[in-house]
Amino acid sequence: MNRVMYIKAATCISPQHSYDAEMFLAPPVSSDTGRLYVLDQDYRKYISPVAIRRMSRLLKMSITAGMQCLADANVQPDAIITGTGRGSVSDMEHFLHDMIEFKEEALNPTYFIQSTYNSVNGWLALQTKCTSYNQTYVHRGLSLELALLDAQLTLSEVDGTQNVLVGGFDEMTDYYHFVKNKVGYWKQEQINSLELLKHNDTTGTIGGEGSSFFVLSNDNDNDNATTAITAIQTLHKPTVEELQTAVLSLLTKNGLTANDIDVLLSGMNGNSGFKAFNDAMANMLPGSAIAAFKHLCGDFDTATGFGLWLANYMIAKQTLPELAIIKQGTSKAIKHILLFNQTIAGDASLMLLEQSL
Amino acid sequence: MAEKIVVTAVGLISALGHGVAANMQAMRDNRSGLRHPLHLRTVHAAEFVMGEVVHSNEEMASILNLPADHSYSRTALLALLAMQELLVGADMELLRSEPLALINAGTVGGMCTVEDLYPDFIAPGTGDYIKYIDALDCSESTENIAGHFGLKPFMATISTACSSSANAALLGARMIKQGVVKRAICGGCDALSRFTLNGFNSLKNIDRRPCMPFDQDRLGLNLGEGAAYLMLEAESSAIARGANILAEFSGYCNSNDAYHPTAPSPHGDGAYNTMQQAMNMAGLKPSDIGYINAHGTATINNDIAEGAAIKRLFGDAMPYFSSTKPFTGHTLAAAGAIEAIFSITAMQQGIALPNLNFHAPMEELLLVPTTQLVENVSIKHVLSNSFGFGGNNVSLAFSAS
Amino acid sequence: MEDFKVTLKQQIIDSLNLQGMKPEEIDDNAPLFGEGLGLDSIDSLELMVLLERNYGIKIEDAREGRKVLTSVQSMADYIQQNRKI
Repeated sequence: MNRVMYIKAATCISPQHSYDAEMFLAPPVSSDTGRLYVLDQDYRKYISPVAIRRMSRLLKMSITAGMQCLADANVQPDAIITGTGRGSVSDMEHFLHDMIEFKEEALNPTYFIQSTYNSVNGWLALQTKCTSYNQTYVHRGLSLELALLDAQLTLSEVDGTQNVLVGGFDEMTDYYHFVKNKVGYWKQEQINSLELLKHNDTTGTIGGEGSSFFVLSNDNDNDNATTAITAIQTLHKPTVEELQTAVLSLLTKNGLTANDIDVLLSGMNGNSGFKAFNDAMANMLPGSAIAAFKHLCGDFDTATGFGLWLANYMIAKQTLPELAIIKQGTSKAIKHILLFNQTIAGDASLMLLEQSL
Repeated sequence: MAEKIVVTAVGLISALGHGVAANMQAMRDNRSGLRHPLHLRTVHAAEFVMGEVVHSNEEMASILNLPADHSYSRTALLALLAMQELLVGADMELLRSEPLALINAGTVGGMCTVEDLYPDFIAPGTGDYIKYIDALDCSESTENIAGHFGLKPFMATISTACSSSANAALLGARMIKQGVVKRAICGGCDALSRFTLNGFNSLKNIDRRPCMPFDQDRLGLNLGEGAAYLMLEAESSAIARGANILAEFSGYCNSNDAYHPTAPSPHGDGAYNTMQQAMNMAGLKPSDIGYINAHGTATINNDIAEGAAIKRLFGDAMPYFSSTKPFTGHTLAAAGAIEAIFSITAMQQGIALPNLNFHAPMEELLLVPTTQLVENVSIKHVLSNSFGFGGNNVSLAFSAS
Repeated sequence: MEDFKVTLKQQIIDSLNLQGMKPEEIDDNAPLFGEGLGLDSIDSLELMVLLERNYGIKIEDAREGRKVLTSVQSMADYIQQNRKI
C-alpha cells in the first residue's frame, strides 16, 4: 500500500484568521467565555442564494471550506471523504426541541434532512458533480483521522493520479456546551483562551469549532505540494505505555528516529488529566520543538483539522508561529512534524508529516 | 489480482426475530414483522406500523446477561445481540491476536434513549441519566460491542444515511485487500426513535399501510429497527483455518448521484452506475445475477429511480428481485447489512425472497418484482442495493463460494 | 383580505428564509414553484408546516397540497375557508 499523500491544498475556517491563509493567524483572536467560535466568512461565494437560505452554519462553513480548497488545488475531486463528530448538531437540536415542544406534529423537514451526518458530503458532491466515492465517518474525536485513513486506502487502490477531498467539521452550540459541562469537559475557572495551556493544573479545556478541508493526492508531479502525510494512526484510549510504543513503532516503520522529528505539534488541551501523556511525548522527543494549537481553535472532535492545516503551513513557510510555540527545538528547518492529538474522551491519534520538496 | 474476500460468519436481529434462521423462516412463512409499536413511545403509534424488534430493552439485557445498571441504549442492545450470533463458535483468541477491524454504522446512534432524556439533559443538575450523556454518538455502539466482547480492534463508524452498513462492508473488504487487517466485522445498527419517525413523517414519505415497494399505489416507507454484522476475511486465510465460507464478497461500488440532497436522480442514473460497477468488479454480466435484493423503500422517488435502473440494466435478462422491507421495515443503518445477509442466505438456500404487498406495477415501468417465494432456484450471484440521502448509493455483489 | 395576504407573505418569507425579500415583491398570483419564486419540494413541505402551525390546517393529500400552494392567492383563499386557529 502506497502510504504517502501529498497535501495539494488546505483550507481552514476556524476561530483564528486561517481562511485567508496569508493572514496566517494574525492578529490572534481570543475569548474569555470558555468557547471559541469560527470567524464567519462570505459563504455566498460558493453557495447559491436558493440553497444558502436554509443552511445551518455548519453546512455553510463546511461547503465553503471544501469548495475553496478545491479551487486552491484547481482540481475536480475523485472522491469526497469527511469526518465529523456530531455533524450539524444545531439542526439535530432544533428538530428534537420542536418535536418535544410541538408534540410530534408539524415539524420542519429541513432540520431533519440537515441533521443527517452526510449532508455536507451530499452537498459537496452536488456542487462539484462528483459522482464517485463518497464517505462520512462519525467516530467522535477520531472522525477526521478515519477519513484520512480512507483517503490513504483510496489513493492506494488506483494506478493513476487521483485527488481526494478530505474534510473534518464540527460546531459548538449552547446545548452541547451545557450538556458536556455536566461531565467535566470544560474548565470551571474563567480564563483567556490564549492562556489555556498555562492553566494545565486543573481539569477540563475550552470548547471550539471549525471546518478544515484538504485536497490529497498520491502524486506530486508538479511539485506544488510542500507537505506529505506519511502515516496516520488511531489509538483507542491508550495508556501512556501504549502511546509510547505506538510512537516508537510509527517512527521505526517510517525509517525515522526521535531526532528526526523537528516539531511535535500537540493537541494538548490544558487538561491536567493528560499531563502524563504530554510529558511522555516530550520526553520521547527531547530535541523537538513543541507547538500546540487548541488554545487557538478550542477543543472539538475534528480539531486535528486545524492542527493539520497549521502543520502544512509550518512546513510550507518553514516557520513556527510565535503563537503556537511551547518550546524551541534544536533544528531550525522543519522537515518532519509529528502531529499528536488526544481527544477529550482520551482517544489519541498520531500523524507523521514530511516536507515533500 | 487482489485476494478474494469471503464472508465467514453473520449475525442479525430484526422485527422478524433474532438470528438468520428466524428471519429466513418468517420470510418463508410470508410473515411480516410490521405492526404498531409496543416499545416506541410516540403519539403516532396507532397511526403507523413499524418493523419493531419484539423484545423490550429489559428482555434484551436479560438475554445478554447484563447487570441491571448497564448503560447500553436500545441501539447498542440490538448491536450486541446481532454480534452475539455472529460470534457463536468464533475463535475469540484469533480475533484478539490477529489484526481485526470493527466497522460499524449508525444514523442516529442512541437517539432512542437521548430523546427521552433530553429534558433532563438541558435542565440544570445531574442524575442517573448522566451515563447516557454520550449515547447519541454513533460510535458509542461500536465501542460497546468491542468492550462487551473483549475485543480490541481497529474501530471505525460510518454514517451515510440508509447506505451506512453497506459502506461498512465495503470498507472492511478494502482494508483486507490492502493488508491493513486480516479480518473485518462490518455492519450497522439503528433502533426506532421518535426523532427518525417524525423526521420521515416531516418529509411526508411514510405510508400508513404496510409499505408497497415497486407498486403503483405505494405512498412511502415504514421504519424498522435492527442490527446486522458480517465477518469478512481473505479467502486464503479462511481456507487455512478451515472456516465455513458462506459466500464470496465479489464486488461492490459506492457512488454518488450528485443530483439532490434527498431525492434520487429520476431516471436512476446513480443506481444504474452503482450496480453496473459492482458487477464489473465481480466480473459479472447482467445475466449472471440470480437475485437482487432491492433497496425498494416504497417511497415514490426511490422505487421509480431504482426500478428504472434495474429495468435499463437487466432488460430481458431480468433476475428475481424483491424488496424485503415489507418484512422488516426500513432499518436505516442496519438495512445494508441485514439485506446483504438475506441475499447471501437466499443464494445458499436456493430461494428468491418475495416482495410483499405488490398489486400493480408502476405505470411508467411495468416492472414486476418477485411476489411469491420461489424455491429450488440456482443462484450463483446476488446483488444487494442500498441508497441513501445525500445521493449515497452502494451496491454489493456476493457470489456462491 | 389584502392585509391578510401581506401577513401571509411575511410568514412565507420567514418560513423559507427568503433573505432580503419584502412582502410587496411577491405577486399574489405568481406561481410559488418552478418559474415564480423558484421554490422546491422541500419548500412545499415547509409551507405545509406553516399552514399547520399557524392555521391548524393539515393537508394529507399531496395533490390537494399542490393546488393549495399554487400561489399566495390560492393559499390565502384556502386558509380563509379552512383555518382552525
